[in-house]
Amino acid sequence: MTDATPSESTRPPGGTLRTGGPGTAPPGAPGGPAPAPVDAGAAPARTPDVTPPDSTVLRTGTFSWLLPRRSALAALLVVPLITVLVALAVMASSTGMSLSETVSGLLGTGDPGTVMIVRDFRLPRIFVGLLVGAGLGIAGCLTQTLAGNRLATPDLVGVNDGATAAVVAAAAGSTTGMVGDWWLGPIGAVVAAAIVVLCAGGAGTAGYRILVAGIGVSTFIGAVGDLIMSRENDNTAGGVFLWAIGSLNGRDWGVGTPLALVLLVLVPFALAVGHRLQLLRFDDDVAASLGVDLRRLRAGALVLAVALAGTAVGVGGPIAFVALAAPILAQRLAGPTRVPVIGSALTGAALIAAADALGRVAAPVELPVGVVTSVLGGPFLLWVLLRPDRDTGKA
Amino acid sequence: MSIAQGGRPRTAETRQRESPPTKARAVPWISTGLVVLLLGLVLLSLLIGTGSSSVGSAWDFLTGDTAARADAQIRLAVMDVRLPRTLAAVLVGTCLGAAGCLLQAATRNPLAETGLLGVNSGAAFAVVLGLTFFGADSPGEVLVWALTGGMAASAVVLLFAASGRTAGSPLRLVLAGSALSATFHGCTSYVLLGTQSTFDTYRYWTIGSLAGVEVSDLVPLLPLVAIGLLTALGCARPLSALALGDDGARSLGHHPGRIRLVVAGAVSLLAGCAVAVAGPIAFLGLLAPYAARALTGPRMTAQLVLSALIAANIMILADILARIVIRPWETPVSVLLAFVGGPLLVWIARSSRLSTAGAEA
Repeated sequence: MTDATPSESTRPPGGTLRTGGPGTAPPGAPGGPAPAPVDAGAAPARTPDVTPPDSTVLRTGTFSWLLPRRSALAALLVVPLITVLVALAVMASSTGMSLSETVSGLLGTGDPGTVMIVRDFRLPRIFVGLLVGAGLGIAGCLTQTLAGNRLATPDLVGVNDGATAAVVAAAAGSTTGMVGDWWLGPIGAVVAAAIVVLCAGGAGTAGYRILVAGIGVSTFIGAVGDLIMSRENDNTAGGVFLWAIGSLNGRDWGVGTPLALVLLVLVPFALAVGHRLQLLRFDDDVAASLGVDLRRLRAGALVLAVALAGTAVGVGGPIAFVALAAPILAQRLAGPTRVPVIGSALTGAALIAAADALGRVAAPVELPVGVVTSVLGGPFLLWVLLRPDRDTGKA
Repeated sequence: MSIAQGGRPRTAETRQRESPPTKARAVPWISTGLVVLLLGLVLLSLLIGTGSSSVGSAWDFLTGDTAARADAQIRLAVMDVRLPRTLAAVLVGTCLGAAGCLLQAATRNPLAETGLLGVNSGAAFAVVLGLTFFGADSPGEVLVWALTGGMAASAVVLLFAASGRTAGSPLRLVLAGSALSATFHGCTSYVLLGTQSTFDTYRYWTIGSLAGVEVSDLVPLLPLVAIGLLTALGCARPLSALALGDDGARSLGHHPGRIRLVVAGAVSLLAGCAVAVAGPIAFLGLLAPYAARALTGPRMTAQLVLSALIAANIMILADILARIVIRPWETPVSVLLAFVGGPLLVWIARSSRLSTAGAEA
């Protein structure tokens, strides 16, 4: 993830890798060692040791694994944070429920009403929120890394517009004007992304062309949705509007279970892809000489990002800002040389959980989670990003 | 923040990047062609529209036929309905084209569009506030609210981008813009959730239209647009220097941070006027500079002029189509911009010149 302009000093000096190339990689170390951070302020130590400075090699026999110390520590810090957030989210309500009542509801010892509220309404909703956040976070991390651009979120590839158009079309086509089944969104997202890839002439080309085609196609699809909406009555428009802000209201296990299964399948792939994507920091030739099949890697990362984001958006609506902010925060935690897949998932989950809980208590009426992420996400991101960073020396 | 992937040398594309001399020579011809096309479209825009006035009678009116001049209905259609729309389309297109081009150059991000500085979201929020709490109902009042909100929002973004240790860095500008946009957008949604009547009006404002624009609404905007455009032309050379990178620009005696802030101010003026007149149609501000770069290569002044001309052409074409596609109803102009512009953007991206268009930002 290069967040610098080509002109600034963060360009990795191609060809002057301190590592001796792939030949000297520790056996089994995937993809060869990562180089030291090349930014000002972190002068690499001149040692023959090829272990990256932010990692520890763990060996057992012929197997070895580079443990990224800083990322691991960051993850260890975020997990308890999420636990605390979930606990608070279970308590958070517009009706005012005390801690003891909440616990009794959770354990099933309280009165039936409390148990039902906590177990059947709140827990599944929190669970779905965490999964949606994780999906958005990972998808954002992959697209930002692919494009080398902080603003490259999955919605640029048409995911949000595709999902929204599908939901709009379903709502307009139905007699009741209600927003339909949860799987409409993901299907719309995937169809839109497929059109984008076709228009761009394949996903294996530079990530850049995909983005441009994505903007063109998603604008087009969004306009179709607008056109349908402008012919609709106000009730339908209002229902779709609520969905299009992003809301977790009424999400239960019926949505959560398929979502969990999808993530269970996709996240391991995303981890593998993220690991290889670290090599994109070099130019394509160096990456290729390190044994990366760039075309397949980019295509795979894009497919994963679309599938993850599409599912998340289909379930929770196009919740603003999480796919943009989570990877940036995770990058801050993990340091500049990593592609923080797990970190993005955790920060995304934490962001959504916190936003949804806040939305339930902040105002007299319940705020959709998308409103909270929009309103608070902006200042929060600014505060995080614009403090000077020790690693890059840049704000 | 740049899209050119972290400074990877791309050998095949660097070869293409050196704009051949033929390209540079073609610029005057292309501009002339675009101006002629624009005049043709202006004429078309005055002739075509809804209502009972035929194209023929409108033509008679324009050529000074006395019978047609005396017909009040034709006069109304041409002078009071179509002329303001036509002028507004040219104005909005010019503003968005120039603003998008400036912003993409200043942030070195070819995916930057004019909504990035918070202008659109600020305008939207102000419009919603005006509709909900201050009883704004005429198009003229909404225009004032939108202009004020857009300017105020981008002023906040600029203040933010101009402060701190890294004042004026592209990252600071873009992040401040997108973060504050998100905040305003959330506030807009919150207000809308509670008020059905505002929501209906806002729905139609947000998909953009030039219907109901009065010449008297446009006149006060002209000084702002003029300031923005003159600043833009004045910034062309320093912006070209920015393409060398901040260090390169400094060595030529420029101040990159200062240039970016001045340019961002000009962008806010232009984009604010465009939003006020036509609603938030930011896509044009991304598309036109893109097309201009594909035609001219890296020369900043040529890019600016062409970008403004292309955008004016597309805008007026979209507005003509908006009147006739589903007669007698209006089609939202943003929808037509997307239908015309989306495929165009994809086509440019597929053409072999993409590397030039993208990497030059």
